[in-house]
Amino acid sequence: MDFIYQLLPHLVNGLALGLLFALVALGFMLIIGVMEVINLAHGSLFALGAYVAIVFISPDGGVGLALLQDYYALPVAWRFVIALVGAPLVVAVVGMALEVCLRRTYGKDPLYGLLLTFGAALVIEETIRLIWGPTERFIEVPRAITGAVLIGDLIYSKYRFFASVFAIGMILVLWLFLQRTPYGALIKAGAHDSEMVRALGVNLTRLRLFVFAFGTALAAIAGIIMGPIWGVRPHVGVDAVVPAFIVIVLGGVGSFWGAVVAGLLVGMVIGLTGAYATDISLVSMYLLLIAVVTFRARGLWGKKSVLEV
Amino acid sequence: MKVRVTRRRLLMGTAAATAGTGYAFFGPWKHNRVWAQKTDKPILIGLTHDASGQFANSGQAEMRGTVMAIEEINAKGGVLGRKLAYISADTETTPSTGTRVAQRMITRNEVAFLVGAIQSGVANAIGQVAQKYGVVYFNTNSSSPTEAGKDCQRCKFVWDGTGANFSLAAAANAIKTFGKKWLLLTNDYVWGHNTSKATREIATQFGAGITDEILVPVGTRDFSPILLKIQQAKPDVVAAAVGGDDFKVMRQQVVDLKLDRSPAWLNNQQDWPDVYGLGIESVFGVFGTTWYHKLALPGVEDLVKRYQARWPDTRIDVPGNVFYNGYVAMWELAKAIERAGGTNNLKVIRALEGHRMSAKDRMQHFDAVIDPETHHVQQTIYLATGNDKPVDKTDYFKILSWAKPEEVQDANERKTCKLQAYAETPSYEQ
Amino acid sequence: MADAFRKIDGWLTPQMLAAFVIFGTMPYWIGPIGLYQYLGIEVLIWCIFALGFNLLLGYTGLPSFGHGAFFGIGAYALGLTQFNLTENLWVGLAAATAIGALFGGAVACFLSHRRGIYFALMTIAFGQLFFFIASKWTSVTRGEDGLLNIKRLPVDLGVVSFSTTSNAAFYYFVFACFVVVTIFLWRLIHSPFGKVLQAIRQNETRTAFLGYNVFLYKWASFTLSCAISGLAGGLFAMAQSGAFVQALSLQWSGVVVLMTLLGGGFVSFWGPVVGTVVFFVARDLLGAYTETWLLWYGLMFMAFVMFKPEGIVGIWQDLVHRLQRRERRLPARSLAELWR
Repeated sequence: MDFIYQLLPHLVNGLALGLLFALVALGFMLIIGVMEVINLAHGSLFALGAYVAIVFISPDGGVGLALLQDYYALPVAWRFVIALVGAPLVVAVVGMALEVCLRRTYGKDPLYGLLLTFGAALVIEETIRLIWGPTERFIEVPRAITGAVLIGDLIYSKYRFFASVFAIGMILVLWLFLQRTPYGALIKAGAHDSEMVRALGVNLTRLRLFVFAFGTALAAIAGIIMGPIWGVRPHVGVDAVVPAFIVIVLGGVGSFWGAVVAGLLVGMVIGLTGAYATDISLVSMYLLLIAVVTFRARGLWGKKSVLEV
Repeated sequence: MKVRVTRRRLLMGTAAATAGTGYAFFGPWKHNRVWAQKTDKPILIGLTHDASGQFANSGQAEMRGTVMAIEEINAKGGVLGRKLAYISADTETTPSTGTRVAQRMITRNEVAFLVGAIQSGVANAIGQVAQKYGVVYFNTNSSSPTEAGKDCQRCKFVWDGTGANFSLAAAANAIKTFGKKWLLLTNDYVWGHNTSKATREIATQFGAGITDEILVPVGTRDFSPILLKIQQAKPDVVAAAVGGDDFKVMRQQVVDLKLDRSPAWLNNQQDWPDVYGLGIESVFGVFGTTWYHKLALPGVEDLVKRYQARWPDTRIDVPGNVFYNGYVAMWELAKAIERAGGTNNLKVIRALEGHRMSAKDRMQHFDAVIDPETHHVQQTIYLATGNDKPVDKTDYFKILSWAKPEEVQDANERKTCKLQAYAETPSYEQ
Repeated sequence: MADAFRKIDGWLTPQMLAAFVIFGTMPYWIGPIGLYQYLGIEVLIWCIFALGFNLLLGYTGLPSFGHGAFFGIGAYALGLTQFNLTENLWVGLAAATAIGALFGGAVACFLSHRRGIYFALMTIAFGQLFFFIASKWTSVTRGEDGLLNIKRLPVDLGVVSFSTTSNAAFYYFVFACFVVVTIFLWRLIHSPFGKVLQAIRQNETRTAFLGYNVFLYKWASFTLSCAISGLAGGLFAMAQSGAFVQALSLQWSGVVVLMTLLGGGFVSFWGPVVGTVVFFVARDLLGAYTETWLLWYGLMFMAFVMFKPEGIVGIWQDLVHRLQRRERRLPARSLAELWR
């Protein structure tokens, strides 16, 4: 009984962690699932989102916006919300530029898309270093969602609750968007048979541009939400892209709920090994991946895709 | 608006300082051998500071220290009538880059001395090359206890306090104040293991019971399972030996959970560049440091002013321990060359070994001494905590106490260190 | 590789001789052009590594993003053999190669049935696994402090023995290894075995239908590539007099992909060599002038992927083709083939 009493908080925490991993992977999933492009710049865009958000939130954000005193006099909560909307839009513009570069790789070996985004990841990370310097930054969070909350005799972070609920919200929003809107239907059709979609008179070029921008905006949102937990530094992107990659492959390329379940699975495994075998908690996600992919070549619910050729 | 100190800018700075000696220009096509015959040629120092990778920020901080010292030394007329000049290269927090940079600086640029390191692997990589050629090398900021222990070298001098020093300073104090039920949080790599080992030894010696040791993998970005576990274990003291980015992440999450007050946290060392800019509330627990910019000692205030005048653009508004180690080490190098009467490496090494540095010169509370058997600078270790009554926005730390060098000396160093014999060390002079 | 099936005779080709002459005389001109001896050693070791890597990427079409692990394993194998077994150069290098192959072979069992992204990701996972083991198992690898004091042992040929402690002498030893590896790989690629690998690259399913056991071929290609990576790692441990855990990192694995592709590993045997040289020289020159050299390198890389995925050698081939069209009198054997 005592053991279960001890285990319970770790299960809850694992669940919360899993939701966050799913959130980190959302943008990556959209791009890989629809466009079959492995966006290795996902991590750098994630970091860029956090940095741009800092500019929106803090007057010493680093880009000479100190003049806008009236704006920075607004309450933190307002600025935080503005950052949550504004920063992803800024990053989406960067994403669009990247998509324009990517056009040259369509129809070729998917390796080229991966390599191009790998180069872009380098460029974005170095640009961040150039603009904001190597120092550690932090994202200011509204007072209402900072600090600890007491549940029984367990202390838990309010911000993590907020982040987990936010993650659930984002997952649902994306799901509803893909399921219930005509645009979502188009995107899915584009993923399924791009030739047919084009033949039906849909502007596929614009559709791809939109999907990529949307995916990078999701990366930026994840960056802003994770910033207060992981901290913000130029190379923070690596901490995001690797788990995103793992979640997607584990869940199976092209499967929405596969990715969500895989995120929860990774979170649970990290949460539990973190509690009972801390020294292998990081490597556990790789072991999980090797175990699953060894027996299920396309992850849990993966579909056949061009990425395998 | 913040302007970054780029290497280029720094190099242009020296170009003025060294009055166009040609050394300031780190051009790969340039040949400097002609200088070898002249005795008034500048003494060229190779700066091996990280500008990228995990410790880029600290690497740039120590570079501000070494460069400022070089400029001050030159302003006073140099050493033995010779000016100091420097070249620098990014060691990328990567040992193989350290090796390559050291090889380049020694064999091509013909530097007389090498200065700079944050990470022990990089320090070892540079140290090995330096030892091979006999070039005196200052490890300014790597605090792995193995640096002056198992991996000590005749040509290498270690300037920072090590994890063991900080443990010794903190542990005895913490048992008295906080309680006897301890939990160790150890980053799962060499520095973490060595530091926790030292903590364990000293803590049990003073009667503490270690309930658990949690090994934290390097690269951990989520400490929530670990923090939950700590909550459940309810120790009096958590002695953490967690470093680098992992520590920054942990700090953020501990503060967020408001676990920073209870249990008591004993953090081994807090490097200034890792905390400055994040706000005073982000400092948590009790930790060690070798220097603080608000020490009430003569010269400290003046140094802060000079720092601010020299580096008006850096985000780090006041000098910290990492800057300090670089700065003081460079000054001591100049003095050692003076005592040796030249740049002959063996003479400089002799001038450094056992050398006593006055508290006044070092702006610390006690005299420091370079242990002749390990080449480790034995110095004052300060214990500090987050400041509840800051006098200004830079006043992050409250200094709790300071320990004499001999009180915190790591006995293991002398047991494990075997310096190469003088006869095995090549003679080198530039 | 349109003409990959063309028969190629002999052990030495003109371009091989040219490379050997250039690298063989390097100690004499590397100083005067403003570089330094040790850089030459590193370039050659990375050339060996990249050539071995390209057997997998360029010839078998399998993108491995975890190859740094085998380089690092080779480095540790050499150091540990030297400390615990015997101080013999040949034994050490044999161990580095064999242990590299052993680990590679074991990993390849999991990988040979995978393709594309799943293959790439599994290599990342294994690479990370080895990285964590190496940084955790400090009693053996000494973690981030590094396995230090690895000696450059003399080259003992029975009759005579050469010291390799000086950079120039060690360079020549690495050069000898480079020559052996180059000739070996060249022969291998133009053997029936090599043809099957290239067929797998072009179409795995079709190759399987032709009756070849593609899994076995993929396994063998991966294992061989890891053996060469291990050898390169062993040499690097001696060059650096130490083995460090960073060699197993994801970043290290990424660099070799970058170099191989930028050079033109997809279109030419010599692509990895060109890419390595360009990468190191660019790093040394650009790195001296700007802190953000990776930014410029990243931009250059993006430009290549977009406009010239065939890499630097691809540009050269284009130039030569254009030249040929102008001078039709040239003999049938084209200059462009110089790079094949």
